[in-house]
Amino acid sequence: MAIVGKERLQIISNLTRPTDERDKMTLTLFFFYLFSIVLIAAAIMVVASRNPVHSVLFLILAFFNAAGLFLIAGAEFLAMILVIVYVGAVAVLFLFVVMMLDIDFAEMRKGILQYMPIGALIGLILFLELALLAGSWVILPEVADSSVLPIDNSISNTKALGQVLYTRYVFLFQGAGIILLIAMVGAIVLSLHHRSNVKRQDIGKQVARDPKETVKTVKVKSGKGIG
Amino acid sequence: MNSDITNFSSLAPIFPELIIIIGAIIILMAGAFLKKQASVGLAGITIALLLVVSLLIILFPTDGIILNGAFIQDSFARYMKILLLASSLFAIILSLSSAKENSLDRFEYSVLLLFATLGMMIMVSANDLMSLYIGVEMQALSLYVLAAMRRESSKASEAGLKYFVLGALSSGMLLYGASLIYGFTGQTQLDEIAKIIMLGDRSIGLIFGLVFLLAGLAFKISAVPFHMWTPDVYEGAPTPVTAFFASAPKVAAMALLIRLVMESFEPVSQDWRQIVIFLSIASMILASFAAIGQKNLKRLIAYSSIGHMGFALVGLSAGSLVGVQAVAIYMAIYVIMTLGLFAAILSLKNQNGYVENITDLRGLAQTNPFVAAIIAIIMFSLIGLPPLAGFFAKWHVFLAAIEAKLFLLSIIGVLASAVSAFYYIRIIILMYVYEPEQQFIKAQPELRFIMALSGFLILTYYFSIAAPLTNITRFVVGSLF
Amino acid sequence: MVEAIVFLPLVGALIAGLLGHKIGDRASEIITSSLLVISAILSWIIFFPIAFGNGAEEVIKVEIMRWIEVGDLDLRWVLRVDSLTAVMLVVVSSVSSLVHIYSIGYMADDPSRSRFFAYLSLFTFAMLMLVTADNLLQLFFGWEGVGLASYLLIGFWYKRPSANAAAIKAFIVNRVGDFGFALGIFATFVLLGSIDIDMAFSAIEGAKNISISFLGAELNALTLAALLLFMGAMGKSAQFLLHTWLPDAMEGPTPVSALIHAATMVTAGVFMVARLSPIFDASTFAMSVVLVVGAITAFFAATIGLVQNDIKRVIAYSTCSQLGYMFVALGAGAYSAGIYHLFTHAFFKALLFLGAGSVIHAMHHEQDMRKMGGLRKKIPITYIMMIIGTLALTGVGIPGTSFGFAGFFSKDSIIEAAYAVGGPLGNFAFWSLVLAALFTSFYSWRLIHMTFHGSTRAEQHNYEKAHESPNIMLVPLYFLAIGSIFAGVLFYDQFFGKEKYIEAFFANSIIIVGHIIEAAHNAPTWVKWSATFAMLLGFVSAYWMYILQPSLPARLAKAMPIPYQFLLNKWYFDELYDVIFVKPTIRLGNFLWKKMDDKLIDNMIIEGLGRKVQLVTAKFVKLQSGYLYHYAFAMLIGIAALLTWEVVAGGLL
Repeated sequence: MAIVGKERLQIISNLTRPTDERDKMTLTLFFFYLFSIVLIAAAIMVVASRNPVHSVLFLILAFFNAAGLFLIAGAEFLAMILVIVYVGAVAVLFLFVVMMLDIDFAEMRKGILQYMPIGALIGLILFLELALLAGSWVILPEVADSSVLPIDNSISNTKALGQVLYTRYVFLFQGAGIILLIAMVGAIVLSLHHRSNVKRQDIGKQVARDPKETVKTVKVKSGKGIG
Repeated sequence: MNSDITNFSSLAPIFPELIIIIGAIIILMAGAFLKKQASVGLAGITIALLLVVSLLIILFPTDGIILNGAFIQDSFARYMKILLLASSLFAIILSLSSAKENSLDRFEYSVLLLFATLGMMIMVSANDLMSLYIGVEMQALSLYVLAAMRRESSKASEAGLKYFVLGALSSGMLLYGASLIYGFTGQTQLDEIAKIIMLGDRSIGLIFGLVFLLAGLAFKISAVPFHMWTPDVYEGAPTPVTAFFASAPKVAAMALLIRLVMESFEPVSQDWRQIVIFLSIASMILASFAAIGQKNLKRLIAYSSIGHMGFALVGLSAGSLVGVQAVAIYMAIYVIMTLGLFAAILSLKNQNGYVENITDLRGLAQTNPFVAAIIAIIMFSLIGLPPLAGFFAKWHVFLAAIEAKLFLLSIIGVLASAVSAFYYIRIIILMYVYEPEQQFIKAQPELRFIMALSGFLILTYYFSIAAPLTNITRFVVGSLF
Repeated sequence: MVEAIVFLPLVGALIAGLLGHKIGDRASEIITSSLLVISAILSWIIFFPIAFGNGAEEVIKVEIMRWIEVGDLDLRWVLRVDSLTAVMLVVVSSVSSLVHIYSIGYMADDPSRSRFFAYLSLFTFAMLMLVTADNLLQLFFGWEGVGLASYLLIGFWYKRPSANAAAIKAFIVNRVGDFGFALGIFATFVLLGSIDIDMAFSAIEGAKNISISFLGAELNALTLAALLLFMGAMGKSAQFLLHTWLPDAMEGPTPVSALIHAATMVTAGVFMVARLSPIFDASTFAMSVVLVVGAITAFFAATIGLVQNDIKRVIAYSTCSQLGYMFVALGAGAYSAGIYHLFTHAFFKALLFLGAGSVIHAMHHEQDMRKMGGLRKKIPITYIMMIIGTLALTGVGIPGTSFGFAGFFSKDSIIEAAYAVGGPLGNFAFWSLVLAALFTSFYSWRLIHMTFHGSTRAEQHNYEKAHESPNIMLVPLYFLAIGSIFAGVLFYDQFFGKEKYIEAFFANSIIIVGHIIEAAHNAPTWVKWSATFAMLLGFVSAYWMYILQPSLPARLAKAMPIPYQFLLNKWYFDELYDVIFVKPTIRLGNFLWKKMDDKLIDNMIIEGLGRKVQLVTAKFVKLQSGYLYHYAFAMLIGIAALLTWEVVAGGLL
């Protein structure tokens, strides 16, 4: 029973929804194609647009559509994370960088034609091979049985993730945490400069200051100066 | 949906890693709050930590598959961990004398090195595509930073950035391959993947996933054509860091590669062996020729290490127990030779800094006869002249290849070895035939110790460690079959 | 203890060789010499219970390490000490330690003494390895080790072209023998299934009748193996046809000649044949070859010795001749007699050489006897020592009694054994040896007369300045003199007494052929007196020609130019070899060098390939452009190539 299909997601949905909800399915299908088409178009524009700011904006559009696809799949948590982290933080950071560094992308693109033929050839080969891959997508019956877990609608995504994150996947979760720690240490090592001749504010020192040490009362005779 | 952590003692197989994590975090905190001068002491603590963990692995071996099949500790993993822990240990010792010049006299160096070691240990023990990726990223991220740690050097920054970008690309390939394999088998655990492959046919998706996975790992062992970062990064990174790059990560990545193909993809061995043979031939040939044109010593070593990974892959491409054993032996000897060579290079310092160019070695035999002799021994061993250790390393892998009837591969390997002799011998000639042009400062005792140790092991390999090494690897590799 | 005996010299060699320039020459001398003295004392401690106790009841075996395990070949590095080895240990370590001490005086002016002592100790180690060998490969290892040390020591004064040439000659001539030896070892392994000595011997019985065709002839396999092994012995012990290197080896320092080219290394061939006596004993033909070659050598070397003028060369030819005696004993089946002569010969020949060294030292490195004479008054102690050595060498003694110098007992045993063999070969050997004894006596006394007696022919100031050697050189002479006088009579029973004594001493370490010994003891009285008579005749004629009628030798040489030139030029062997082997080899070498190597290999293959390699290299270096996107692109090309390869070759389409 080889199920050959273009969208695995749809198969999963079909398997998991009751039959009387079929009319809902057409609506779902519509949104699926909508999000997918916009996503692909936006992704192409990220690469193709001349203005780098436009590229980043298209990237944000792509993220939103991907989040939409996650929603259809019932992964609302991932959808929100995608919007918050990638759109809210990463993409905005990109925008800053692109706008702050005045990079002449047109100049950088000049050389591209030189490599166009061979690049296109390699691209074509890779594309054909991946198309071959997509064409031969076969899900083994054993796989279909074993791996596709029906989505449990009784509990929320967040709760479900919370149940496994610190138990089943604690090792991977902690490992990922260490990777983030390394990234942090690395960022500090590579970018934090302790300049020696810069005056810094030391609040502890300021608070601990004692008038006796810093203020001296001097009686000055008139006409003599402090001397 | 639940954990298999019932009590603390069930975590025994992962104790070494836990100790490294705790130690690294303590050193991180101590470094952040102590004065800058404390970094030397922290390096000492790091050395002690690595020693303790090595001893723990040797003296209290606890095997098992834990954490829902994500982590495996077996004799193969322990052997490879000892190798890479030793590499890390010696890399730190190597950096002691030149830490100041290379801006490595900061506690972050120790911390990052420990995290990189941790990542490699996880790679070696990975039994799941996800933990594999976590390990790979953990070591890679640490290495990127280590490469760029010398901030004032534009070469180091360039090296770090190149390494980072290309490493990201390779991670992409690795992840893409992993997702294809998950998609086609529905499993991420290595042994489960093998079971699924046994049941079904070798589908195109599976093979593509395999190719992408192997490409991602080939980047880590810098096999051609995924090697392009290696010369630039080796040249740009501080020399002790290069020594580390050239030893421990190679061991870890090779161990991971072996476990992956032997455990998960044994049923499609015909396919991955083709890929490994391709990588091996390309690495051996390109490295042999490209190294001849090098003027910078570290670039030369980079190509040399690419070539040696090619030779090691010859053993793996046999796909047999003997072949894997040969690789295990090869990696041990490779580490010994590499660390000795870097100790020699780091001991050659004059008022202008450390040697960079091959021509700086002119007449070394007259100014520093000991260092010159060690370099000459290592060069002869790298060529593979009997009775030095390097000869036996190559002998084992070629023997395995011939047993597997890979005659063409063996012939190409021997020819590449002959071509590579050209540039190794050129160094020896420079040292022994020419008149010296410069004087060097006397080497630090710890460097001389490492050089002497390496030279001794290479010279007396057949009498000293050949028999135990062969026995241990035979036993160790048995745990994979 | 055995380990100490064998490895102490190695320790000394390593210290003197590696640290020599750090610790200084004096320290090197003292360390190597004292280590050897210790080794020598330990050797005697092992030897005495064997000689005077109840013999070697069991063989001492000390395993050092496992050596080689390939297929059927399981070799362990084992030090084996049985009676034969014990004798050799005593000879080697005693003579070596005395030579070490002697060299401290003899080499006092040499700038690279620590190197010299390192070589000496290295040689001793190799020689001890050789005699303690438990299998043939170990024997071969020591064999080549002593060859190497000999090469280094002959060429010790490497700035002299003649020393270099002599060293190379020694090495190459020995290669011929060693080639045979190596083949012999292979043959033994194939034939007997093992090269472990005990195991090989136990297999001999089953292999006696195997025959193989070799060079078209049907040969008994065991005979062939024995002959090949004997070829090695001929090279090392300078036997007829392979003897040419030994006289030239006198280019080395005199202590070296005493140690290596008289007392120890050259006897390795004798030792080897004795050690492998079961193999030789199984083949009558091989035994006959040994007998004949020994007899010819003994005779022919003695004839050359008659007319030589270099003091060291006379003794060298004498050595050659005495080695011939030993081989005759072996060939006759009287192995113990051969070892007996080896044992005594070591003392008096070392004494003679060191005495000659003392003379040379006194005469400021003059070696030509025609420029000596009348030295008796100048160096009286050396004179006495040389006389003792000569008496021992010529075999002075009264047959049938216990009066006699060392050489008397051992040489007479051999002559009697040769007579005991009987038949045409036995008679040939017997008469050759008797004649050789006559010549030996003549040239030995000629040496004494020309050097010490009469009026001096030396240059005036050389003679004036001649002086006795320092004590450090004389004391070793005393020890050797004691050995030269008593070594024969003390150990007669053990080596050539009644069969049961010999058996008690040697146990199973060599074959003891009872009937030969019996027959030798029962030889007619004229046989027993023949050698003594020949010795007296030689002495009288030498006295007549060099003391009473000093002008006679010159007239004699003029009257018979052809025999004289023939002997003076050493039977023209060097010239013959030059024409047959050396010149064609040089021509072939020139052809290969100029035509094959220069033109074909260098120009066309090496340099042509080199140019190709450079082209390829330049291309590969260009690939590494430094641009990040090139690198990334290379990775993508790589993955595309791998995927395509899998699709096409893996049959996924």
